[in-house]
Amino acid sequence: MSLLSLDHKDVARRYLWSGLGFLLLGGLLALAIRWQWAWPGQPVPGLAWALPESRGALTPPTYTAVFTMHGLVMIFFAVTPLLFGALGHFVLPLAIGARGLAFPRLSALGYWVYALGGVLVLASFAVRLGPASAGWTAYPPLSTSAFTPGLGQTLVTVAVLCAGTSAFTYGLNFVVTVARCRAPGMTWGRLPLTVWGLFFASVLNVLFVPVLAAATALLLMDRLLGTQFFIAGAAAVGGGGDPVVYQHLFWLFGHPEVYILILPAWGMVGDLVAFFSRKPAHGYRLTAGAMGTVSALSGLVYAHHLFTSGMSPLLGRTFMVLTLLISLPAEVMFLNWLMTLWRGSVRLTSPMLAALATMVVFGLGGITGLALGAVATDVPLHGTLWVVGHFHLTMGAASFLGVFAGLYFWFPKMFGRALHEGLAKVHVLSSAVLFLGVFGGQLAAGYAGQLRRLYDPYQYTYLKHLLPLNQWTTVCAFLLGAAQVVFVVNLVWTLRRGRAAEANPWQVGTLEWTCAASPPGEGNFTQIPVVLRGPHALSQPEVLERLGRDWIGQAEVLPGEARQGAGDEAMPASEGPVSTVGSVT
Amino acid sequence: MSVEGKSQPSSDLPSDTSERTLALREDATINGHRTDDAPPGVDKSVEGKSQPSSNAPSATSARTLALPEDASVDGHRIDALLGWSHRFEAGMAALALGWMVVAVWRFRNAKRAASDGGTKRSRAWVFGLALSTFLVVDGALLVGSEGYLRDVLWNLQVPATDPRTVRIEINAHQWSWEARYAGEDNRFNTSDDVVTWNDLRVPAGVPVWVQLVSTDVVHGFSLPNFRVKLDAIPGRVNQTWFRAAREGTWEVACYQHCGTSHYRMRGELRALSDEAYAAWLREAGRQAVQAYDVDDSAAHWGWEWKAP
Repeated sequence: MSLLSLDHKDVARRYLWSGLGFLLLGGLLALAIRWQWAWPGQPVPGLAWALPESRGALTPPTYTAVFTMHGLVMIFFAVTPLLFGALGHFVLPLAIGARGLAFPRLSALGYWVYALGGVLVLASFAVRLGPASAGWTAYPPLSTSAFTPGLGQTLVTVAVLCAGTSAFTYGLNFVVTVARCRAPGMTWGRLPLTVWGLFFASVLNVLFVPVLAAATALLLMDRLLGTQFFIAGAAAVGGGGDPVVYQHLFWLFGHPEVYILILPAWGMVGDLVAFFSRKPAHGYRLTAGAMGTVSALSGLVYAHHLFTSGMSPLLGRTFMVLTLLISLPAEVMFLNWLMTLWRGSVRLTSPMLAALATMVVFGLGGITGLALGAVATDVPLHGTLWVVGHFHLTMGAASFLGVFAGLYFWFPKMFGRALHEGLAKVHVLSSAVLFLGVFGGQLAAGYAGQLRRLYDPYQYTYLKHLLPLNQWTTVCAFLLGAAQVVFVVNLVWTLRRGRAAEANPWQVGTLEWTCAASPPGEGNFTQIPVVLRGPHALSQPEVLERLGRDWIGQAEVLPGEARQGAGDEAMPASEGPVSTVGSVT
Repeated sequence: MSVEGKSQPSSDLPSDTSERTLALREDATINGHRTDDAPPGVDKSVEGKSQPSSNAPSATSARTLALPEDASVDGHRIDALLGWSHRFEAGMAALALGWMVVAVWRFRNAKRAASDGGTKRSRAWVFGLALSTFLVVDGALLVGSEGYLRDVLWNLQVPATDPRTVRIEINAHQWSWEARYAGEDNRFNTSDDVVTWNDLRVPAGVPVWVQLVSTDVVHGFSLPNFRVKLDAIPGRVNQTWFRAAREGTWEVACYQHCGTSHYRMRGELRALSDEAYAAWLREAGRQAVQAYDVDDSAAHWGWEWKAP
């Protein structure tokens, strides 16, 4: 694999290794936080080399850097790159029958900008005063140089800008690719749901990442050039700005970002549930429409993050209604997944288990968010671990399990080798159960009032009784970390001596499995496929009868099927009933 | 009813004993005028206070899977709403999870799978079920929340019209809560202002109207036992209000990350009897006048009270 290759599959593999590396880093940082809440101030095992002065114990300044970097690394350098950079780059062109992305140079460039950001993040750990420590949200004035001096905060702010630039480039690339590079016959109604999820999320990237870039750039100017866009109070000289403007800009990006992190996973769940129930997705249009509605609403709900910021009742009410509204399309989508299982023939493969686990943790994460969407019930829960548990279930656990659903599903296509199915199942199941333990424990602690980001929560007497709960939660977190070893073993072993994957191990009909080699060569397809039907043409009676199997490729001609009707959009009426087998109605 | 069980020995001030006696003596009066607005949850506190040996302000009756003890007059409305929403949510979770388990168990490796992506009818069912769940669950949250906002959270008319209302200006710093009481002249930033650090005192049962700023970074002013949370933001005055249901000592916590010692930005709130509060304010105001230093400009802050 050449590091300069412009092929989307090579770019995807680069993102995969980098993303997994940062996932490991972010996970270790999370374990340090968990350790601190269970055994405050006690030396963290194995950290003495990094923190010799405290013999491995977290000090308050170290702790603030640790939780700040955990959030930033996970969001910008692990989960987004894995979902979009790795799975998105790899799957999207293949799934729509394209030879590559619309702008191959841009996608390669995007990776290198991301990599530069990653290097800055790593470098920030080595500079004096350590990396960023103002929280992943980096609210000013705390994040300005008066209150968080040191090069680390600046380096990490630039790194976020890099990650944002890269996200914008692949967002734009994906949107254009889906709009312009689909194979003949690949109508919008025949796109796999994964592509729909990636497409909507990419639109959100294009619209809202620039808002983050603007806020971050202004913040950098406040840090470096002496401007005062976001500085008020004692640190402001001569007028000053308004810290709340930053909060609005940040969350105008930040809330769509949580949908950016989950939409691709939603799409994959929709596809995988259909594939492994061996039947077409229930209400395909309704599901795609629901994802679109959530995307459209996602930019209009953000200020629920600011319910306690003292905003005007008019705004508070508006955002409360809009926020609650977004649960309707989410429910429609979820019910469609459940309906897809019903009357299917459910196969509990590793990708399917991961998809079902994603549904469970996402469902719980969504439900626990309802109370945060209404102003009154948000008040006791705002800023507590309830919020942390809620959003970790959705954009942590659900995105993570979504990534692994996708990885286990497409790994044979990416590397031509089959992972050990048993190990994969053990990994998925243990991760899912332990996720519920960790984030369930956080929900409980938050409900009892434990506030976020406290170095020592037990300074507060009203939180003292939560120590045993937090210790159990921490035990779950360490076990969760240990469970990832199963994946690493599986990965390393498979890459070295795993057996060659079959051409279509999951027996599904999407283009990447039916028209391309494993792994696909340059240009993906020897001949551009002509798409005849939707992505979930499973258990179709005509196919069972004539081919003796329950699946048919999206571009596979059924014996006796009229070829010329394919992709001929001008004359859909000319397609016989057979040629629309599995197409979506 | 005593405050012993709720006091914090480590931070007790010398004057504390006399206050306690005062508070004890005034118990009858408190109980007298509290009956009309006491929330149903009041009895919870009684068991909490029955353990005088505890040094925790509120941990005495704390359960792991419960909200912090509610010591406010109006907070029970939020708690009840949360309780209802949790019941709905538990129902939704059970339904969804149960459905999934049954579907997987029943249709695992089934010989035949349906070949359709749903019928018009089944899709209508999905939409109808989603819509009705949405209307019930989200509707209950919206209506309940709106009632609380209208009557309590955003209804500053209550403290504005109540003659007994206590006004406090709070200035958040890295890392403490500086509170200012107007004193006898009822005007802020004058020589008889009472200024305290991490030590709020309020009369029980009376509206307490807080206006809040920050000097340096964004802080979060929260009273977990009173269901109060409000950001302290440099450059703007935020305001909220609450009523303590009974006497006792509770904690003030910062909920916005505000730097290295964020976790130590802890204060205490003492709800006193009317008389104990008045006595304390009088005495503290007298001492403030004596200690007033015209040249100490850093100590001179405060603003004209903002209209709601």
